[in-house]
Amino acid sequence: MTQIEIRNLHKTFKADAVLNGLSLSVDRGEIVTLFGPSGTGKTVLLRLLAGIYPPDAGTILLRGRDASGSPPDKRGIGMAFQNFALFPHMTARNNIASALTARKTNAGEIARKVEAVAQLLKIGHVLGHSPRELSNGQKQRTALARALVADPDILLLDDPLRNVDAKLRYEMRLELPALLKRVGSTVLYVTQDFKEAMALGDRVAVLLDGRIAQCDTPARIYAEPVNVGVARLFGDPTLNLIEVAPQLVDGAPEIRLGGMRIRLPASYAVAAGGLYLLGLRPEALRLVEAPGPRTVAVELVAVTPLNEKSVLLLTMQGGEELLASEAGDRDEPRRTGPAHVAFDLDALLLFERESGRRFIPSGNGEVAHERIAITSHR
Amino acid sequence: MERSSIIERVLRAVLLTLIVIFFLFPIVWILLMSFQTNEQILRIPPSLSFVPTLENYKALISGHLLTSAGSLDIAFMRNLGNSVLLSTCAVVLALILGVPAAYAFARFKFWLSEDIAFTLLSFRFAPPLLVLLPLSLYFQDLGLVDTYVGLIWVYQLIALPLILWIVRGYFEDISPDIENAYRIAGHSWLRTFFKIAVPLAGPGIAAAGLLSFIFCWNNFVFALVLASADKQPVTVGALAFVTASGIQYGQVAAAIVLSVTPTLLLALYAQRWLVEGLSLGAVKG
Amino acid sequence: MTSQPIDEPIRVVDRRPVEWLPYLLSLPALLVCIGILIPFVTALYYSALRFRLNLPALKGFIWFGNYINLLYDAEFWNTVSISLRYTALTVGVELVFGLIIALLLQRQTRLNNLISVLLLLPLMTAPAIASLMWKLMTNPNFGILSYLVSLAGVSDFGWASSPSTALFTVVLVDVWVYTPFMMVLLLAGLRSLPQQPFEAAALDGVPRLFVFFRITLPMLSPYIITASLFRLLDAIQQFDIVYAMTQGGPGNTLLVFQVRAYLEFYQYTNVGKSAALLVVLWMITYVLSHFFIKNWLRLRERSHASA
Repeated sequence: MTQIEIRNLHKTFKADAVLNGLSLSVDRGEIVTLFGPSGTGKTVLLRLLAGIYPPDAGTILLRGRDASGSPPDKRGIGMAFQNFALFPHMTARNNIASALTARKTNAGEIARKVEAVAQLLKIGHVLGHSPRELSNGQKQRTALARALVADPDILLLDDPLRNVDAKLRYEMRLELPALLKRVGSTVLYVTQDFKEAMALGDRVAVLLDGRIAQCDTPARIYAEPVNVGVARLFGDPTLNLIEVAPQLVDGAPEIRLGGMRIRLPASYAVAAGGLYLLGLRPEALRLVEAPGPRTVAVELVAVTPLNEKSVLLLTMQGGEELLASEAGDRDEPRRTGPAHVAFDLDALLLFERESGRRFIPSGNGEVAHERIAITSHR
Repeated sequence: MERSSIIERVLRAVLLTLIVIFFLFPIVWILLMSFQTNEQILRIPPSLSFVPTLENYKALISGHLLTSAGSLDIAFMRNLGNSVLLSTCAVVLALILGVPAAYAFARFKFWLSEDIAFTLLSFRFAPPLLVLLPLSLYFQDLGLVDTYVGLIWVYQLIALPLILWIVRGYFEDISPDIENAYRIAGHSWLRTFFKIAVPLAGPGIAAAGLLSFIFCWNNFVFALVLASADKQPVTVGALAFVTASGIQYGQVAAAIVLSVTPTLLLALYAQRWLVEGLSLGAVKG
Repeated sequence: MTSQPIDEPIRVVDRRPVEWLPYLLSLPALLVCIGILIPFVTALYYSALRFRLNLPALKGFIWFGNYINLLYDAEFWNTVSISLRYTALTVGVELVFGLIIALLLQRQTRLNNLISVLLLLPLMTAPAIASLMWKLMTNPNFGILSYLVSLAGVSDFGWASSPSTALFTVVLVDVWVYTPFMMVLLLAGLRSLPQQPFEAAALDGVPRLFVFFRITLPMLSPYIITASLFRLLDAIQQFDIVYAMTQGGPGNTLLVFQVRAYLEFYQYTNVGKSAALLVVLWMITYVLSHFFIKNWLRLRERSHASA
């Protein structure tokens, strides 16, 4: 059952269209992470849902009913703010209880519920403290507890891990999915971190140019981005984009890459004659020792070790740069110098240069079988 | 980091001493005078040796003044009461009117909002007599001449701009999300205003209230033009008293001391916020 | 941004109380003030009337007659001149004096803070009462200041009662009351200045006078301008001190704008002329307050940004 439905939502601030015909629907009990670069209106969307701002146009249906006209206090939503927004003049206990006092719950019941949610979030020992006396992590948990305490069936979380330190963010990222599942609410979770979006969401909604560019499972968003804009947002380092112009040579599609001609599967034949961007995920590139028939000669310029992986900077003939990444547990460090790079065809993404839309090969089946890389290096 | 020579330090100390003497001497001297009899005051050369007397205060408080020319009734205590009443009511009214308005100007951009806020500010800088003189004619027509209500209303010209602009600043400094969070937790707008906005702007409201009290108390021209004799505050009353009592200098000094004591004490108490109040909220102390 | 056919008619939704709430909140304050705008408009109207309270029969509309009469009235020009002199003297002296005191108290020591609080006391004294205090001190019979001046060999110093020294005396009272205002604003300004330029200058061994004129003064200028305009606006309208001290006398020596308008109204019952005088003053303050508000807003934004 659809719990949140947003239809054609528009919102403009000072002549800047922030949301421009955004539509999205979220099922009951589902966790959807809302992801996009900063300034794309993710927070605005949550505020429209919570009733803090009115939309310029469009409809919001909560639990199947039109929510326009109902003020924030009548929407039955739980929300955690990025900057926590704790009430500075109240103790953590009263902060959390604020969501219950409005609902005419009796004192014993309030105390019991606050205690329970505090236990769940491990802040039972600081309930008597005022926000000033709490650590950032405790503030964040208090804010979360305040959003959760009244068991709202709709929960809006505005980048709750943004303002906590890296260690805590890591812990919470492990803890949150189980916690949210346990609460059972429908969750819309805003984040600017693609890893967080993919780790927490049943689905990821990608917000670009005031609309949801794509809303899909994390795996499909990664493997089948609708356009180059979405593809760019996921991956660290981001994918390599190289301008290519596929041509038919002897009836088979072919691209030129770093001075090499690389044959593409027949399913790419329709692409011939157009201008495209070839998208290559760094982790899909592998350095190989010997040139194969369809490898590309490169120069390894620099190696940046990042704990669990290394990022390699390569240049192709003609100076174009490529980033590749590989597991960081190699016994001997890589030497810079000439090398060859091979890549998986099933990770190959092709985008129309003008529109940015992903090119979908006709007859997808063939792609997975062929490999351009021949030699594996280890 | 300050490398100051001995000459400089001595110079500094001398200058500061002179400054402190210049600014505090009148207050101290009048305070001393208020404990002297007329004979002691009239001594030449003036002397610091005297036996303090409370006669001046007693005369003022009892309201009867015995002079060589006979007995004189003095309404000074009534003036003092008027000052308390006028200033208190004016500030309470200004708070009731000004705090919600300050909130509106801080939180909402609405039609003409800035123009209205600036119009209120400009009241602070218009010549008061421009409004007061025609108003005195209206007061006769409206029957406000012999009432406190009229004066309290006009005192809004002093208190309202101050409260509006100081409290507005405090409201603006509260993150709107704190209020939003309380709304989302299920509380009505009105509850949010009283449970979140007002307590968080509390220091600012208190400061603005105290300061506007001081400024209302110190006002002279409003009451001079509009107040009938029995509604006059101390500022006007003290002047009338000087004229009436002639040469009862001890009592005049005592009256002055009684007139300024409340504001000076309040000022010492509120000094943390004075800078902000004096600059109408533009400079934080 | 690509446009997409709108599949649903755009409709404005969410008519919530928020739209009328700000009006409801600000309306009471506004109504109280509108009541005060009425006498303001009345004053403008009076200024275009021949209107004497003692001669009601003569009442009539004379357009700019009162203003034109003012132009040919030597007394009016005397008022302009005395008001300007009063303003220039008080604001000038208070600015220099206030700046010196602020510089002396700049360092945050306990003694300095105590002094800066004590210096606020004159400012918190009602100006009318302050005048009475100085009147007692300058009394020719027993005033301590009269005595001190006579010790210095000046026997006939008339203070407020002599035309030659009246201006000096009221300026002295004004300086006593309002210098702390300058001091306290400039001190707040000085203490809020960023430290880096001064540290850099100290490291480079820049002479202190140079630092003062090239770094301190320019950086302090928004505070100086705001505080001065504030005082300028008050000084040109000064009434309390002058009226309480001398009622504009002796003779016409201290007939500043508002005192003159007050006497014109009550003593000569010439409502039209009094209103015209006040409208002229209002126009002066209106122009000044325009500059003031610009500077004031800039300061306000700054102190909010740093808060």
